[in-house]
Amino acid sequence: MRNLYFVLLAVLLLVALTATLIRFYLRQRRSAETNWQDLLHRLVWIDRDAIATIALDAVTDEGELRPHGDCFALDSGVIWNLLGGLEGLEVIERNCQVLVELAAYLQRFYPEALVVAEQLRLNAREIEWHVGRLKGAAQTGNLEASFANYAQRAVVIYYMMTRHVLTLYDQAQFPGLAELQQAI
Amino acid sequence: MTHLTGFDIFTWIASFLVNGTLAIILFVRGRARSFPFFTVYILEQIVDAIASYFVILHAAALTYQKYSWTAASIEEMLKLCVFYEVAVHVFCPTGSWARDVRKAFLVLICLSVVIAVLLTWLAHPYAPRFIQTQILRGNFFSSVLLSELCVGMVVLSGTVGLPWKTHVARIAQGLGAYSLARVGILTIQNVVGIHGGRHIITRTSHVNDSIYIACALYWVVMLWAEAPATRELPAAMKMQIYTLNRQVENDLRRIRTWRQH
Repeated sequence: MRNLYFVLLAVLLLVALTATLIRFYLRQRRSAETNWQDLLHRLVWIDRDAIATIALDAVTDEGELRPHGDCFALDSGVIWNLLGGLEGLEVIERNCQVLVELAAYLQRFYPEALVVAEQLRLNAREIEWHVGRLKGAAQTGNLEASFANYAQRAVVIYYMMTRHVLTLYDQAQFPGLAELQQAI
Repeated sequence: MTHLTGFDIFTWIASFLVNGTLAIILFVRGRARSFPFFTVYILEQIVDAIASYFVILHAAALTYQKYSWTAASIEEMLKLCVFYEVAVHVFCPTGSWARDVRKAFLVLICLSVVIAVLLTWLAHPYAPRFIQTQILRGNFFSSVLLSELCVGMVVLSGTVGLPWKTHVARIAQGLGAYSLARVGILTIQNVVGIHGGRHIITRTSHVNDSIYIACALYWVVMLWAEAPATRELPAAMKMQIYTLNRQVENDLRRIRTWRQH
């Protein structure tokens, strides 16, 4: 009986490890073939006006925190609706993933940009973390408690991040700026 | 004294030649400096091939088993060192461990050890001598551990978005594939055990040796080839990246202090 459990568990582990390795290997190969423009094109459309409304409720156009009494007027429910619920958060998360891949792209091909690319990757990961916490809270029904802490924070960062990416795209004079502006 | 079959001699010569070629490549191409543990591992394989030839032919069976146990222990330790070396290349891009992987990496190691210990505890191979049982279980433990660590490292780097340099990826792929194959082979050996005939152990050992030779050949080809040339960062792009990063960092700093307002 012990031998049977041993064989079953060993085979199960072997299959799981092999499948995981193949899946991630293929993902890595796909990612290695992507170029800078492809990555920026992968940003997914999200209601920019809604994002701006949520973000500008907390910060000014320049990104400074609004003075007391003039900020955080939107309540959790309104923010949730503006975001488009869990789907909206997932789009934000996917777009943050693009920024992480952008950093990986830089590390892979431009070693002299290693330090800054690593910082960029860590910052993008932190945004992902905020969004991940919110998604987790939404799934366990604790969204209301977590929302005040993470939602507006994540949206503001996301809003500003997309603005920075647009500026970057504009400065680099990559083709397709108009499409990108529409997309994000 | 043990009788060597034609296939035994063939695998012995083949692995000796492939490991020798690999060692030469590591030094000639300057890879030994970047991968010192991997180089020591390959050199250990060469020394082991020479030593085991004489031990098999001239020493008593028990001496051979003791030698096998010692050599296998050294080999497995070196493989873990190679894993650490690869992990440093992947997770320390700027010289220190990326702060978002430290905890996950420790969890990966602990979890891998626990699973490997549990599976090895379940293994109950039959062997005439105690030391043979320990060799079978010990080899199984280290193969499971190394497979989990290699796969975990691939998953972790993919999740956090840390890229692999060409030669690091090739060493890890070879080591991971060989470890996974060994898990399968050692599962069979631990189930069957060492009975009088020993032919299943012999055949699976031949498969194991053949897979190692294939992996070493893969390393020979991949480590001989140069990595793709890196590109020079255009001045405009460099400026943009620095600006983008500074902006994102400033945003984060502000957002982190929100709670204090």
